[in-house]
Amino acid sequence: MYNEVLFYQSKYILKEIMNINFSKDDIAFRDEIREWLANDYPKHVKDKTDNGIALTKDDLTDYHKALSKKGWMGYNWPVEYGGTGWSATQLYIFNKEFGLAGCPPLLAFGVSMVAPVIWTFGNEEQKERFLPDILEFNTWWCQGYSEPGSGSDLASLKTKAVLENDHYIVNGAKTWTTLAQNADWIFCLVRTDNSGIKQEGISFLLIDMNTPGIEVKPIITIDGEHEVNSVFFSDVKVPVENLVGEEGKGWTYAKFLLAHERFGIASVGASMRQLNKLKEIVSKLSNSELQKKVNELEVSLSALEITELRLLSALENGGHPGAESSILKIKGTEMQQHLSELFVEASGEYAVMYPGPHGYNSNDKPAGPDFAANSLSAFLNLRKTSIYGGSNEIQKNIISKYVLGV
Amino acid sequence: MDLNYSEEQVMLREQIQKFCETEYDFYKREAVVKSSEDFDPKVWQLFADQGWLSMPFSEDSGGFGFGSIELSILFEEFGKSLVIEPYLATIVLSGLLLDKSPYADKNKLIDQICAGQIHISLAYAEVDKGYDYLSVNTTLNDEFCLNGTKTLVLNGANANKIIVTCSKNDQFGIAIVDADAEGVSINSFTTIDGQSCAEISFENTKIDESGLIVTGSDAKNLLNEVINLATLCVSSEAVGCMESCYLKTVEYTKGREQFGQPISNFQVLQHRMVDMFVESELSKSLLFKAMLEIDLDSNEKFKHVSALKAHIGKYGKLSAQDAVQLHGGMGVSDEMMIGHYLKKMVAIDALFGNADYHLKKFSS
Repeated sequence: MYNEVLFYQSKYILKEIMNINFSKDDIAFRDEIREWLANDYPKHVKDKTDNGIALTKDDLTDYHKALSKKGWMGYNWPVEYGGTGWSATQLYIFNKEFGLAGCPPLLAFGVSMVAPVIWTFGNEEQKERFLPDILEFNTWWCQGYSEPGSGSDLASLKTKAVLENDHYIVNGAKTWTTLAQNADWIFCLVRTDNSGIKQEGISFLLIDMNTPGIEVKPIITIDGEHEVNSVFFSDVKVPVENLVGEEGKGWTYAKFLLAHERFGIASVGASMRQLNKLKEIVSKLSNSELQKKVNELEVSLSALEITELRLLSALENGGHPGAESSILKIKGTEMQQHLSELFVEASGEYAVMYPGPHGYNSNDKPAGPDFAANSLSAFLNLRKTSIYGGSNEIQKNIISKYVLGV
Repeated sequence: MDLNYSEEQVMLREQIQKFCETEYDFYKREAVVKSSEDFDPKVWQLFADQGWLSMPFSEDSGGFGFGSIELSILFEEFGKSLVIEPYLATIVLSGLLLDKSPYADKNKLIDQICAGQIHISLAYAEVDKGYDYLSVNTTLNDEFCLNGTKTLVLNGANANKIIVTCSKNDQFGIAIVDADAEGVSINSFTTIDGQSCAEISFENTKIDESGLIVTGSDAKNLLNEVINLATLCVSSEAVGCMESCYLKTVEYTKGREQFGQPISNFQVLQHRMVDMFVESELSKSLLFKAMLEIDLDSNEKFKHVSALKAHIGKYGKLSAQDAVQLHGGMGVSDEMMIGHYLKKMVAIDALFGNADYHLKKFSS
């Protein structure tokens, strides 16, 4: 009965402990990040990124090497393997500050994707062989998951690896492989057994991109960029010591990896930066319809920011935010896309101009506002966000199953 | 940073939940709504017995000194059960206004309020003024006589005293008057969410000089503060409604069979329920920000009250509409509880500034 619960006389004991402010240490940490961004974030990378110009392989390498020099490449790694050992709150701050400063997202394939699989399921020899190069950004990794016939239904993948003596012989095709044209290594899900259910019989292989029989073909996306590729394997010989963990357990490792991928996916810092730019632009337009959309977006972004903080707070208290974090993927990507749409709207007629991925020559720019030149490319490029990493519809299936229980 | 409720706050929520489950059945509520009573006085007395009526008052006034977090917990739970008792009118709008005011007789009144003996209503709105509550036609003349008409006075017909915003010599003021004083006429109406409000006219109604509680910018600030607090409260109620909307819809679709299977198996319904869940969580997040900021000493302390109100005004209604849609024909049946959440959401959006109003306020 309700009246069995005594009304607590908490005027003596209750002091609101809930608060939304970061601790002194966290603020000091944030300032350290800001200092690096102000002084050591490579200037040529900043200039290009601020002007919406695509980064080259060298640019991206310089950026990651600079981070590595500071000791932050292993930002989400345990100290044991040379990482920072940062708390969830520190990781959040790091992501947010990099986003606010307009930095390109860190390449996830080595440091955030394959590395945790290697240190969790790999053997000592593999850890020594691969982890230090990832930390120093000496090797560029790409991800061999999706196939022409296997998108959201990833477990249906067909790329085959057959063990012959001390090598796997790999045949098949991977697709949507981001920056495979730059990669030294690819981590692949391959089928080593066809007899059981489709999730069984998948193995996790590390493959040197220089192995004979690998062919990379560009896929040009609707924004005109070459970011993704098809990767074809014909009789590619992969030494058996490049198998991570046990044969047939690849699906388990893949799921583990996906769980690692969630944090920072809301891109709150980056979206805030875009919002602030947009607010400034729209404030000069006297366009009340657009202004209202911007205001609504600001409220939604604030809601997303606090949602991430709530999950973070639960995590720091020993909780396990599970499927709830799919909210961050869905809303974070919707927010990025919506922002880019509003930049296009703010560009008015100049949204028709298409400078291509390398921007206009600074001496030969068409008329119109500066931001207009990139707004449509960004709008087209960001379509990918609600498709990759488990499409937003898949995220809804996950919430439906694990949170709503239907 | 810590965005977890304290143990005591969790206990408070459990206590309210238990009460609502055992004492606040929807069919009992409906019987009261359809009766001549505006609410159930026995329930109000139980609120008093549990200490809920004294909860937000300062310790100096004999209260528990609880803040906006506890108030929001209470209102979230009230929202889930669609509570009709006039907590907002008597405790938040009137009681807390008195508590924060320099009124000399306030302690006596607050004691009576906490004991559940009296009701007080705040008459802040006038016809044709929209949401601009600082603009008033009601006047208090030099003889301390009130003249004018107030509208949408929540729980006005049940009030023993009425707090009235007015102007005296072109200065904004807040006065208190007995509901049965000469020249007061009260016309009561029911609201869409099962509560009541009144139109109250004053014709040369004489008040004590001490009854002019506060004037000028102090009066404006005081009104602004309680209206924002009330906005936070109804928004918390909306957050509670949104949670109930998705939970009840999930439960209903799991039990409802069509085409030989529970309709919750259909992905098109699943994704709509996920949308309801996501919007409920986002609204809750804005509630966290609003309730933590409102107690700060800052120019922007009400900014996120507006963000929250704008968000729930739009998405709360959408959630409730989706809940009705997914309940099919049952959703539009007045016998079922689910449609009443939609009525509540409409009422909440209309009060204290709707979604558009607060969106503008948020970004100005």
